[in-house]
Amino acid sequence: MQTATVVAKSDQYVLNHCSRLLARDSGDRRHDFGQYAPDDARAAICEAWRLPVVDSHYDGSSAQTSYPYNDVTFVYDGRAAGAAEVAVLGTFAALYEAVPMRQIRFLGEDTGVFTATLRVPKGEVHTYKFRVDGRHVVDPINPQLVTLDNGQRWSRFFTEACQVPLTLSRRQRELLARLVAHLLPFRTRENRRFIQQVYNQIDRGTRGQQFPLAYRLDEEVGVVNYIDKLLARAEQHNLDDYRTCLSMIDGILRGRAGGIDPLMLGPEQFQQLYGEMASDNVDGWDKGRYGSPAYFLLLLRRHAMTGAFAHPKSGGNSGAAGWMYLESRFRDDQDNTLFDWRRAIEAPLGRNTDYRG
Amino acid sequence: MAEEHVEYLVIGSGAGAAPLTATLVGAGKQVLMLEKGPLLLTQAQSPDGLSDFKRDETFATGAEKRITTPGVANQGQSFYASHVEPDLNDEPHVYREADGSERVTIEGYTAQVVGGGTQLYGGVSLRFTPDDFRLASFNAGRADLRNDPNGDVVREARDWPIDYDDLEPYYCKVEELVGINGTRDGQEKPASVDHYQPPLEPNQISAFAAQGMDALGMRRYRTPLAVITQDHPPSGRTVPVDRDTIKTAFVNRYGDPLGLKSNTWVSLLAPLRDKPSFELRANCVVTHLEADGDRIARAHYRDPLGGRRTVTADTVVVACSAIESVRLLMISAQQDAALGQRLNPNGLLGAYFLTHCFGGAQCIVPARADKSKTLDSDWATDHCARADWIRANGLWAGGAIYNNTSDGALPISLARTWHAMDMDNMWKGYLYDMGILGQGFEDYLEGNFGRRLSVAFMANQVPQRENRVELHRSATDKWGRPAAFIVKDWHPHDQALMDTLADQCRQILASSGPVQDLSWGSVGGSVVRIANHILGGARFGADPKDSVLDPDCRLWNVDNLYLTDGACMPTSGGANPTLTIQANSFRVGDVLLGR
Repeated sequence: MQTATVVAKSDQYVLNHCSRLLARDSGDRRHDFGQYAPDDARAAICEAWRLPVVDSHYDGSSAQTSYPYNDVTFVYDGRAAGAAEVAVLGTFAALYEAVPMRQIRFLGEDTGVFTATLRVPKGEVHTYKFRVDGRHVVDPINPQLVTLDNGQRWSRFFTEACQVPLTLSRRQRELLARLVAHLLPFRTRENRRFIQQVYNQIDRGTRGQQFPLAYRLDEEVGVVNYIDKLLARAEQHNLDDYRTCLSMIDGILRGRAGGIDPLMLGPEQFQQLYGEMASDNVDGWDKGRYGSPAYFLLLLRRHAMTGAFAHPKSGGNSGAAGWMYLESRFRDDQDNTLFDWRRAIEAPLGRNTDYRG
Repeated sequence: MAEEHVEYLVIGSGAGAAPLTATLVGAGKQVLMLEKGPLLLTQAQSPDGLSDFKRDETFATGAEKRITTPGVANQGQSFYASHVEPDLNDEPHVYREADGSERVTIEGYTAQVVGGGTQLYGGVSLRFTPDDFRLASFNAGRADLRNDPNGDVVREARDWPIDYDDLEPYYCKVEELVGINGTRDGQEKPASVDHYQPPLEPNQISAFAAQGMDALGMRRYRTPLAVITQDHPPSGRTVPVDRDTIKTAFVNRYGDPLGLKSNTWVSLLAPLRDKPSFELRANCVVTHLEADGDRIARAHYRDPLGGRRTVTADTVVVACSAIESVRLLMISAQQDAALGQRLNPNGLLGAYFLTHCFGGAQCIVPARADKSKTLDSDWATDHCARADWIRANGLWAGGAIYNNTSDGALPISLARTWHAMDMDNMWKGYLYDMGILGQGFEDYLEGNFGRRLSVAFMANQVPQRENRVELHRSATDKWGRPAAFIVKDWHPHDQALMDTLADQCRQILASSGPVQDLSWGSVGGSVVRIANHILGGARFGADPKDSVLDPDCRLWNVDNLYLTDGACMPTSGGANPTLTIQANSFRVGDVLLGR
């Protein structure tokens, strides 16, 4: 574990990212979509999940050397507590080395809001706390909280292209993989072969450069991981929907197949299930536990579509396989692609060297 | 500490605010600009070499959120916003649906960021026609207008207090200083100077639109777009070595990390950054204005962390997009009855709110194109903006027609806008189309990706007094201020106009080759659809009894208060409004210098 690398960010940058969250009079629970406990003050904060800010990194010299990292900006609002000295410590630094946070200024005045930006490798998960005048506290805004084995609560964040499962169990992820595989086109024999070839055909060097963070390039092109990350952060309010519905679907399919593991079932059973979910009437569905199977299907379809074709930093579209599928599938008479995504996307993922991501 | 005082306070930083600021600061005047949204830099401007705008589809339409505003009919429904659009729960806009219910909407918000709506817009930068400024004169004595049995249209049409010739030099100024590419030949909008940069090669799919326009004898020109295609000395911007890479499809609803899209920040404000007489404070929202007799004495605002601050100014300019500008004046009036009487002596503040008659046609073309190599539009025609065409069709006004190229160009945007007629219904068309899975997904991509072509029209809406912006009786923003309440509907003549123009768009596509799935329509069936063209509500005019602002865009009874965004428009014009708002703002800048 190394000493944390601090990155300089302007006060304007930090205010741009936190003003929308912190500046408000209303304490109404305007942003509670079901993700918060009744006493959680975060419900009054718009998009509380945006903190800490996980952004691109640029070292000033090259895309290749910058690409493996993110800039992570922590913000602590010390106004209510009258904080004088604030630091952040976490698993990103050696032995929980406390990184001092500086106070943001506006019009030459102290604001009472503290910040620090650290360079953190992509693909990682970390826990952290703030040390406020000697006292350790979790981040009062970031809703990602974990309880460690010793019973302590810590705040958590993860960087881009993170592949570590955070919200769904192995069983839930495997079942989800079967569900989304039937929604997306990658399951047909021809496309399945294509997806495998994409990864196998490229040499080791290119693989390391273009897909340094893609370890799993499978039929659902990272969609399950995308959903796992979305439920951990921006759409935490949909996590219970997934847990409840995946558990019910698991039970329903097992019951229909006389106890056979649903993961072993053929596509027909899943297709039948979709039809029933679409009509909002699934045989065996407990509407007392979850009112509308059709609603869950809508959620699943939006997430599957987004996860297959979003920028790979989101954890989906693994290794840009979704984009490469479109690139290879749609060609003109001269065999030039009709979806040349690489020309707009930053190198080294794409080939644009003007845009840095 | 003494209260801060400035010569000019400008509220907002978009199309209505930035041009006059450039004029004032250029003349050595002191300007403080307060902008509610963040200041997001381009890569070249940013000390860390990175921009807060990204080529990332989830930036245009982000994670799901849900409307929590109490008492509205769509409470609990999902919405998806860009990273620089306001949060609907913190700052709701409520509109009245045709069935009388009230709903929160994301339609009609532009963007909360330095540069305002010009950061996210597609950049279509058309002038209005000379007739657009004189629709009362144009229609005087006419009895041939369709769907207008009560003569509403002739009665409500207004000439602007300025005409095309007054604005023409300022159109030229915008085209030069903002940085616009396009072609002039074929336009019905005479120009004294041609400042356009050359357009890039059109997307292949646009050949179909061109062919359709040609087959119908419609003169066409390359759509003027606020994107630079060459180095732009007035703003100091440079273009990539490979100019073709300027076309990315991350255009409409995306801020530009390279600053090639000519938003007001990169084109007009950033060049002022080092001038000591100019200060821009981002993340600062003005909550209300306070009067002293016939003058605005001070503005109350919140700083980036919500702290209360005030500033006094010799002159105050409000330009924070029509709905929000009107709301700011109404909230200020609510706190001071005497100011209310000055701002709104005739009850017209908020009235005659306008958007655009808007619609078009779309189809599937036989040959697939790479739509990711594109800007927002390639070809435009003023065929339906000509006086003889307008009269021959029994209409009061015309409009521009142009093809869209960036719509559905990227895979997620294709899905989320699938059969989604407005921003409130983003994603729904795709999600409820249950056949799009497995092989159905393959068919959907095969049939649509790179093959959808649309042609749109943008035309004048009939002004109606009952179309208005008010303060909502119960919904509030995060500061506890009343939210905006929008009441609007279409006039029957609007419907006739939209049907006629949608049919023109249909004919263009039907004449373009063996197309499939041809459909056409307009926003006539929807009261919410605004296309983010929010206009009117504080119209300017020569008669103080019939207008809110004088011809200089000054509040008639307040000596030092000006309103210079789209709210001033008495009619909505037959084209996207941004270029005209910018030109008028430059005009008012000269007025202010002359005072």
